Amino acid sequence: MNTALTITGLTKKYSHFTLDNISFSIPSGSIVGLIGENGAGKSTTINSVLGLIKKDSGKITILGHDVDTLDYAVKDKIGVVFDGSNFSEELTPVKLSKVLRDIYSSWEQSYFNRLLDQLSIPATKKIKTFSKGMKMKLSIAVAFAHHPQLLILDEATSGLDPIVRDDILDMFLEFVQDEEHSILVSSHITSDLEKVADYIVFIHAGKIIFCEPKDELLERYGIIKCGAAQFDAIDKKDIVTYRRQDYERQVLVANRQKAAKKYPKAMAIPATIDEIMLLYVKGENE
Amino acid sequence: MAFFVKRSAFIQMIIAMQVFIFIVNVGTSLHADVVSKWNKFELTLPVKYNDIIKAKYISFAMLFLCGVVMGSITAISVYVTSDNSNMQFVLYGYEFGLTLAATTAGIMYPLMLKIGTEKNELIMILSGIASIGLLVLVSAALTPLTGEMNMKHSLVGKVSTIVALAIFINSYFVSIRIYRHKEFS
Repeated sequence: MNTALTITGLTKKYSHFTLDNISFSIPSGSIVGLIGENGAGKSTTINSVLGLIKKDSGKITILGHDVDTLDYAVKDKIGVVFDGSNFSEELTPVKLSKVLRDIYSSWEQSYFNRLLDQLSIPATKKIKTFSKGMKMKLSIAVAFAHHPQLLILDEATSGLDPIVRDDILDMFLEFVQDEEHSILVSSHITSDLEKVADYIVFIHAGKIIFCEPKDELLERYGIIKCGAAQFDAIDKKDIVTYRRQDYERQVLVANRQKAAKKYPKAMAIPATIDEIMLLYVKGENE
Repeated sequence: MAFFVKRSAFIQMIIAMQVFIFIVNVGTSLHADVVSKWNKFELTLPVKYNDIIKAKYISFAMLFLCGVVMGSITAISVYVTSDNSNMQFVLYGYEFGLTLAATTAGIMYPLMLKIGTEKNELIMILSGIASIGLLVLVSAALTPLTGEMNMKHSLVGKVSTIVALAIFINSYFVSIRIYRHKEFS
């Protein structure tokens, strides 16, 4: 299987935080969702991938090229969207496109114009008059307009209303249809990733907790909601993590079906990505 | 005569400030790049690092040129409207302005790359002071040739312009070095 991005043993140390030995890859034609709480290391990972920060160790390969020696021909095939707009506020989308079409070799002006229409972005208004959502949509249009092979998005859907978010998620799904294109997207909005991601990478405190196909994750993980007595009866080996609440315990189990059979009196319900993340971050371990 | 000397000094200052004034906008423009995070985004574009820095220095050079053009309009106006044909005082205006502009840009840009643009006004003022310091230093160093410490001596004007341009050119290479090691998080 071809990979669009491979990260092996990525480590970056700061005085207050360490991104510790991160490894995962993005198979071509797939969407990988990077999740984790604020400060978990998602942006540090993305910034390392883009060469914006210098990694301490590890190897990153983008489209078969080492990131340390990435030439501009490879960068031409990467579309990037950060949280917020990165363009001069004095420009209009039309003027911005005049700058970018001379930079990206495969920039398609007619496609950019179509995207502006599709996303209802005013082409001749100054960016400073745009709302945050509008700026995000412009960044996404720019990222798509040069036909990248790999899209890297850092919190790209934040600030967008649910309808626009849904349109953009559809654009992501369409983008990876031909199995040639891939997406790495970090997001706090895990429901978005539940809709589009093929794989979920969960980073917590600079370490990867899991990197799994989304469908398997949602199929396997489960939550048992029970009282204190039932909780005591659960084999601690079956507990990934748990949370105490006023009158109940929420127990995350890695194998829902097995747990349902083993503890027939307890109800093991499917877990959402949000709940899995919450229990990993706020839960306790024994 | 006293009026003429006073007027000449005033016109010199006008020309010098016109050459210098455009470069003052650089700090604000660089700060805007940081606030919009364009400086981070441009690193993801298919452009060489050297070209990004080169583009900045070309824009500085164009600002110098705008200043020289503005100064020239003043110089031509003075020449046409008065019978003053002594161009030496005009030339010193250019030299003084270029020394200020080239030294300020040459010090300010790498400094802002290194420590950030949050204190861009302070960096601008310090760079401006450094450029005056350069003039004082050059005039002191040339005292044996000029007879006295005279910042308005034509030799001081020429040498300080050459030194300022050398600082500006070297600053390009320093900026590339800083940029290669800079982290954008």
